[in-house]
Amino acid sequence: MTSPAKTIIRLWDLPVRLFHWGTVLLVPAMWATYKAGKLDLHIKLGLALLFIVAFRIAWGFLGSQTARFASFVKGPGAIAAYLRSGRGPDGLPVVGHNPLGALSVLGLIGLLAVQIGLGLFASDTDATASGPLNYWIGSALADTLTELHEVGFNLILLLVAVHLGAIIYYAVAKKDRLVPAMVTGKKAYDAPVAQPKSAPLWRLALALALAGALTWWAANGGHFVPPPPSPYDASY
Amino acid sequence: MRKISMMVGALALGIAVVAQAAAPTDTVEARKKNFKDIAGALKATNNSFKSGTPDAALIKANAAIVASYADKIPSWFPAGTAVGVGKSEAKPVIWTDKAGFAKAAGDFSVAAKGFKAAADSGDLAATSAALAKLGGTCKGCHDTFRQKD
Repeated sequence: MTSPAKTIIRLWDLPVRLFHWGTVLLVPAMWATYKAGKLDLHIKLGLALLFIVAFRIAWGFLGSQTARFASFVKGPGAIAAYLRSGRGPDGLPVVGHNPLGALSVLGLIGLLAVQIGLGLFASDTDATASGPLNYWIGSALADTLTELHEVGFNLILLLVAVHLGAIIYYAVAKKDRLVPAMVTGKKAYDAPVAQPKSAPLWRLALALALAGALTWWAANGGHFVPPPPSPYDASY
Repeated sequence: MRKISMMVGALALGIAVVAQAAAPTDTVEARKKNFKDIAGALKATNNSFKSGTPDAALIKANAAIVASYADKIPSWFPAGTAVGVGKSEAKPVIWTDKAGFAKAAGDFSVAAKGFKAAADSGDLAATSAALAKLGGTCKGCHDTFRQKD
């Protein structure tokens, strides 16, 4: 008996991996800077997180095949079929996010986006540090959004726990280690799966430009062209 | 006339008695509402400055709200309303360091009146400077006397 031939493919493109490990670094850093009371740094890192999450959402429409939402987000029927067979509709292993894991991807990215959005409007009690769009709203609404920003973190923790639990489950119960592919980008399959299509560079440039524009706009308090420095340095 | 003034007097006394008898949790709630009022007025002013086109009339109105509370803060802290009562964030040090607390409240009072005077004058640069100074007195007091949630 010879072992069956392995098919090695490039599964995750570099932008997807950089985004993934970027969140692994930035989300704990957001928590740590909040706990340490370093809110100025918290806000700067939050803008960095805004950039990579906005990029990932754009990349979900413009990126390589396994990065695209349309390629992995499926309906309940496909999820049920995956739960029964552990494979795709063609009987081959699912290349990329499986239909159930897609929910986790959407949940994590969506929750991060909401959390970042809330953070743009949040402020600490004395408004000594405020998100760049906080000045748009009154103090009562700002208080509410700030509280939701605190709740949001607990929801993220919950989804991260589910995410880590799933990785361990796949490694132990299904003998499928997911982490190496997220590091190297490559994955070996026992079945003859097809190489997912990559995306041309101009799409990468476009996604980076969109995310950069949004981040720039938010960081400048909702202006694409920063207003001249105010003679009133009134931050209290 | 005499009758009316007696009635007013009795009413005032009645209100005073009610105020004295107010439950500590009600005192805490009322206090928090007042501080939120101050914070809201300050934020409205700050928002107006940050918008790049400050609205002098709006700033004046909000400065008047803040100034109306200038001398009231010490009266919001009767004994028995420290952390542990309702949602109080008042540290016990308020009552053990009475002089320190009185000074912090006094700093706020002076800064709040200065802020109103600047806003009334219509000089936005001076108002902005007075607002920053006033904000410093909020933070200065909170750092020592308010429990962080």
